[in-house]
Amino acid sequence: MTTTVEHIMGLPISIDLGDDVPAAAEQAFDWLREADERFSPFKVDSEVSRFDGAPGEDLREILAICDEYERLSGGAFTARLPGRAFDPSAVVKGWAVQRAAELLRSAGVRRFCVNAGGDVVTAGGPWRVGIRHPDQAGKVCAVLDSRDGAVATSAAYERGAHILDGRTGEPAAGLLSVTVVAEDLTTADTTATAAFAMGVEGIEWANARPGCEVFIVDEDRRVHRSEGLALL
Amino acid sequence: MKKTILVLLLSAAGFIAVWRFEPAPLASVAVAQPRTSSPTTSGAAVGATEVTVPGSVESNRYGTVQVQLVFTGDKITDVQLLQEPTSGRGVAALPTLREEALQAQSANIDTVSGATQTSESYAKSLQAALDAR
Repeated sequence: MTTTVEHIMGLPISIDLGDDVPAAAEQAFDWLREADERFSPFKVDSEVSRFDGAPGEDLREILAICDEYERLSGGAFTARLPGRAFDPSAVVKGWAVQRAAELLRSAGVRRFCVNAGGDVVTAGGPWRVGIRHPDQAGKVCAVLDSRDGAVATSAAYERGAHILDGRTGEPAAGLLSVTVVAEDLTTADTTATAAFAMGVEGIEWANARPGCEVFIVDEDRRVHRSEGLALL
Repeated sequence: MKKTILVLLLSAAGFIAVWRFEPAPLASVAVAQPRTSSPTTSGAAVGATEVTVPGSVESNRYGTVQVQLVFTGDKITDVQLLQEPTSGRGVAALPTLREEALQAQSANIDTVSGATQTSESYAKSLQAALDAR
């Protein structure tokens, strides 16, 4: 197994290749660097910073996902907070990493695990994906058996209360950690972020999303998990 | 008799808590206040008198629960759920984080899913240790 770690979009991104396919990881990293250049709101020349209402095809796709989840979450999830610049970062990361995973598949890698700052895409499992304990950084509070799919977690323990409830503009409250398992990382990541923003009502909401399973820790440290979740 | 009913109601409340919720913090949810209705006498013997006691409707953020107890003499012969929380495909809110974490301790893992990690915090993280293997 070859593990390569690079830091892109401010994230540590690890790619484990179970199959020996030279250059596949490099292609995936190249794409992630490109995505950072094109969609970062912090780069003045990015498509997001220059966004003038005429987005290219990829940015249109990202905007459509932002709008869809804003609607589905009743406005709790939003890329357009009042008084702030348009910021689709919450969608871009999962979307870009999912595409990186598809590049690995296209390159002929059948078994891989990509971890982008805590969001995971696997293929050719079993891969044992631990869910970080929300109170103890060095521990996990559950282990999932992931075959071909994605696992994303949203919480405030890493970067503080950075997820705001778009309905109030206040930091999201009620949940400590939201993990969503889905077929792809775009869905898993966006659903996890939206559920975290929604607070307690996000538990049932995320569980009811098609193809999604949840492992959620509320602020009373109760665990809510989907019946079908593949726990080890 | 009244004391017995209370004790039995609390037992039933415990049952509901186990059925749906983690008992400790949510016990109050299921403790139904009895409104003793007129006994429905169905048998001649005193011990065979059947009494139906509906509990009050209790709601919290997980839904609404109402139970009804049927006593025959001093014994609960039936517990009926008049209302139960509806929850789509069902999220079990049973275990605590501590219980879950204990289960997970012994497992080997390949990778860690967690809140978005920054490159700064990565160096000392569990994921970095796994990547360095």
